[in-house]
Amino acid sequence: MASVKLTDVKKVYDNNVTAVHDFNLDIKDKEFIVFVGPSGCGKSTTLRMVAGLEDISGGTVEIDGVVVSDLQPKDRAISMVFEKYALYPHMTVYDNIAFSLRLKKVPEDEVFERVTNAAQVLGITDYLTRKPRALSGGQRQRVAIGRAMVRNAKVFLMDEPLSNLDAKLRNQMRAEIILLRQKLDTTFIYVTHDQTEAMTLGDRIVIMRDGFIEQVGTPQEVFETPVNLFVAGFIGSPQMNFLKAKLVKSGDQYQVSILGVNIPLNPDQNAALLAKGIQDQDITLGVRPEHTAVCFDSQANAIPCTINVNEMMGSELHLHLSSAHNDRIIVRLPTMDLTHDQRAQLSYGNTLYITFPAKAMHLFDPKSERSLIYG
Amino acid sequence: MSEAKRHMGLKASRALSNTAIHALLIIMSVIWLIPFICIVLQSFRVESTGPVGYVVPHQWGVDNYTKLFQTDFPKWYMNTFIAALITAVLQTVIVLCMSYTLSRFRFKMRQPLMRFMLILGMFPGMLSMIILYRILKDLGLTQANAVPGLILVYIASSGMGYYVSKGFFDTIPMSLDEAARVDGATRAQILYKIILPLSKPIVIYTVLTAFMGPWGDYVFARYISFGTSSGMNVAVGLYNWLNKDQIANSYTMFCAGGVLVAVPVTVLFMCLQKYYVEGVTGGAVKG
Amino acid sequence: MAQISDLEFLRLSKAQKTGYKIRRFFTGIPKAIASFFLAVWHAIQKAGKAVGREISEIGTTFKEGDWKTKLSFLVMGFGSLARGQILRGILFLLFEIIFIGYMILSGGYWLSMLPSLGTQGPTKEYNALLDVTVTQYHDNSFQILLYGVLTIFFIVAFIYTWRVNIRQNRMAEKILATGKPLKSGKEDLHSLVDDQFHKTLMALPLTGILIFTVLPIFFMILVAFTNYDGTHNGYTNNLFTWVGLDNFNTLLSWDVTGGAGTQSYAATFGEVLLWTLIWAFFATFTNYFLGMFVAMAINKKGIRFKKGWRTILVLTIAIPQFISLLYVSKMFAKNGIINGFLMDMGWIKTALPFWEKPNWARITVILINIWIGIPYLMLITTGILMNIPADLYESARIDGANAWQQYRKITLPYMLFVTGPYLLTSFTGNMNNFNVIFLLTGGAPTNPAASSAAGAVGYTDLLITWLFKITTGAESQYYLASVIGILVFVVVALISLIVYNVMPSIKNEEDFR
Repeated sequence: MASVKLTDVKKVYDNNVTAVHDFNLDIKDKEFIVFVGPSGCGKSTTLRMVAGLEDISGGTVEIDGVVVSDLQPKDRAISMVFEKYALYPHMTVYDNIAFSLRLKKVPEDEVFERVTNAAQVLGITDYLTRKPRALSGGQRQRVAIGRAMVRNAKVFLMDEPLSNLDAKLRNQMRAEIILLRQKLDTTFIYVTHDQTEAMTLGDRIVIMRDGFIEQVGTPQEVFETPVNLFVAGFIGSPQMNFLKAKLVKSGDQYQVSILGVNIPLNPDQNAALLAKGIQDQDITLGVRPEHTAVCFDSQANAIPCTINVNEMMGSELHLHLSSAHNDRIIVRLPTMDLTHDQRAQLSYGNTLYITFPAKAMHLFDPKSERSLIYG
Repeated sequence: MSEAKRHMGLKASRALSNTAIHALLIIMSVIWLIPFICIVLQSFRVESTGPVGYVVPHQWGVDNYTKLFQTDFPKWYMNTFIAALITAVLQTVIVLCMSYTLSRFRFKMRQPLMRFMLILGMFPGMLSMIILYRILKDLGLTQANAVPGLILVYIASSGMGYYVSKGFFDTIPMSLDEAARVDGATRAQILYKIILPLSKPIVIYTVLTAFMGPWGDYVFARYISFGTSSGMNVAVGLYNWLNKDQIANSYTMFCAGGVLVAVPVTVLFMCLQKYYVEGVTGGAVKG
Repeated sequence: MAQISDLEFLRLSKAQKTGYKIRRFFTGIPKAIASFFLAVWHAIQKAGKAVGREISEIGTTFKEGDWKTKLSFLVMGFGSLARGQILRGILFLLFEIIFIGYMILSGGYWLSMLPSLGTQGPTKEYNALLDVTVTQYHDNSFQILLYGVLTIFFIVAFIYTWRVNIRQNRMAEKILATGKPLKSGKEDLHSLVDDQFHKTLMALPLTGILIFTVLPIFFMILVAFTNYDGTHNGYTNNLFTWVGLDNFNTLLSWDVTGGAGTQSYAATFGEVLLWTLIWAFFATFTNYFLGMFVAMAINKKGIRFKKGWRTILVLTIAIPQFISLLYVSKMFAKNGIINGFLMDMGWIKTALPFWEKPNWARITVILINIWIGIPYLMLITTGILMNIPADLYESARIDGANAWQQYRKITLPYMLFVTGPYLLTSFTGNMNNFNVIFLLTGGAPTNPAASSAAGAVGYTDLLITWLFKITTGAESQYYLASVIGILVFVVVALISLIVYNVMPSIKNEEDFR
């Protein structure tokens, strides 16, 4: 129902620490935006500035084309779900959800209707007369969402709503938030430190670090074309492998040279580098574990590695390897087709060979940490 | 065999130390209770009125209690009770205002203000009595009219006693306030709809200590009543009965008065003991 | 003293480590004090800079402001009125009118009299008509000092309000320049229960503190520089006047003549201060350790009636101190129950001099204070002891620690860390523990060498009870009481300062959140 526009938004604390640097973002109507980043990256601060819980040190926040920077939270047509639920402990679930409506002096009949509707959507009708302390974590989370729902806000803000739940419940609630989003059909801003949540929920993801936006894009974009080392390492699990390598240009063809192996780039990558006029240089080569192929015997273009750790995950193995350069490499190996002999070979100290397909390679400048192709 | 022996030894030594502790606690209880038992027993002594070297009265009776009502004691009692009651209400309001503000608002003068109050607290409060007495005298709030003056003195500076309840408010998560603000509550509504209902223990603690303060106050009450009997509180009045020239006649009356003062306060305190413990423990940890 | 590296420290023997720590503590004190004065100096510098900034901002406000703003420099609130903020404007204007009216009607007089504190004392005049001598009263030093101080407070408040008035104009101009409307009076009022709610909440408490604490303290500090006492009460007998540092010289002089009794004031003060510190030390730490011991005894596994023992002890807190202390004081008297009991049992022949001999009295006071204090400390420590994570003890037991070692290495450090701030306030509180001393002994036994002018100082008198005696004594040497009060403040502040710099747990309030 509403777009949100942040222009040069800045947060400087009294002790002159800058938590958020010139933050620019256009959020479209009904979009689901996720702010993701490690703790202290300014994602929550940004959200709280949108909510009006934190003063804005510079720049403007607009909701639906109206500048709201100086408005109180209640006047911004937003609602918010807090990390630790922030349910009022002395009120029943019903009173918790009805609190904002009663402050607005909504007639009790309508309050009843709206609260019970929300409760029905969230499946908490049976708990309406209970106090929050009698509820489980997931139920509390639902009440918190219900409290935000009844306000009929234009923008729905969620500050790490799932981080207090255990892993199983978190997966379940994640799915429910997707359902809720379809029902509410409004603009969402969602803050999390968990890249899985960001990938599964977001229409677009804003990756932040130290108060700066590192990259904005759809989940696919940030996964496939990370603009720098930080984004490449943050998105995806297990983390992308980084290896020391050299970029060598012979004629118009670029090659990545690593441990005596030369891998030619594919035509798209080649063209992008040519257009930028990049010469021979040291690079950090990034390859995701799932794109790293494993072979048991030496073959052309294969890099020999030593096995350090073998983690059995059930359907697949996570192998921690180290190369002759002491790069640490993780590969994923499906267990289904492994022969008995092969399994025996996967123990500590043995040698394996890995290869990289050209299209799976990410090339980063070691100094600027930016991607040579997408940066 | 030797295993079992060692085991027995452990058990026996524990039993021994527990017996010793029980014995110690019994002795302590006796020491702690003796003065109160004595004071009650002596309040029923009829044969003499001065201090004596024995405890159990030779002759029992309630003479001391009936005599109390021929003195100014009922007046002192009412003075103290009224002062305590009003102080309890007003002081609680002031303390809660102050501690809520210092816990929840982050304004520019917050730290300097707290530091300033800390420094103010290092001056002996008694010193200011000289001038307060003169001011109150000019306002006509001393001697016979001591009660309103006394209340004013008790509550006026109570804002400085914010530590304990601020410590309690600090434990209520800020996110509750923020949720309420998003829900459309003003700061005032947050205070009485969210924070106060959650602060029952500390409110009771504040009321209790504010109520008990005036019952035990001697210094301020003595200054302000300034020798006028009708303006005294129980502490000043009863203290005077133990003067060199009065003690021989009124020692047992002092005991009777003490019992009458102590009983209601003690009963109230015992009922609300739980909250008191919560308050002092929290206060000591938070500083 | 040079600091040694962590690794060097680890190589020291146990005794060397303790010695090193103690030396570090004492060599740290001058540094702590120096850093305090440095901080004060920085604060002064900062304040100076802030004043400079304010003045230059006032200047730019005037230079860049429109005529409404410029006129507001003279007529407070004019800018607000002219820009439609009627409520604010009226309040500013009203304040200015009241201020000017007050200054003309009386403030000016008080201020002009302040340097002399009055020139004409009461005179006796013969009234021929009635044939009597009538005393005519003129200046009143006490009132002059009091209202002079009030007037200074008022002037400061006026300057501050004037500054706020200027800043409001500046802000209003800025807001109008961006095209936004100014806050209406209704919005102003609403903000008093919302984003400015703290001002509403603190208005009453701070006014109370200002009038009933700050003003009296300010006043009494000034009294220390006058000769205000019973014979110079400033109105009915003699005026009092400024005497500079004379009173400090008197109290801190070793001159026996004109001192307190047969010893000098400085000696008396030193004795009382020393006893005050000894008392505060024992009163704080005996209670602390014994209270903790009792709490641990009651908490111990296998002890029955835990609640009952606690309730019996807590009774002493509930009963007003003036009853329990006065009664206990009589119990220990020469003809009291204790002596009576001991003589009946035939254990002693003559009464024990609990209150008659200096050292007997001092020890008895400390012992009775333990009786008063243990229940309170027991309550406090019980809660904290239960909060010590049980796994610390379990891991210590597995490491082979016995009960005493567990106490030494786990309980005590934890308790000291958590209750550090409490110990400090408790120590300073005991220094000023009027009730226990006054109700038990009243300061007795009297020190014959110091028993004249300064209000009959006794061997158990603390500075605070001495102060009380001085003000209520026959000569009411208020100036001397003020000097002692100031010195009490200095001692308390100094101790707090040192402890603050040593204790880790006090420094940061957020550590305990």
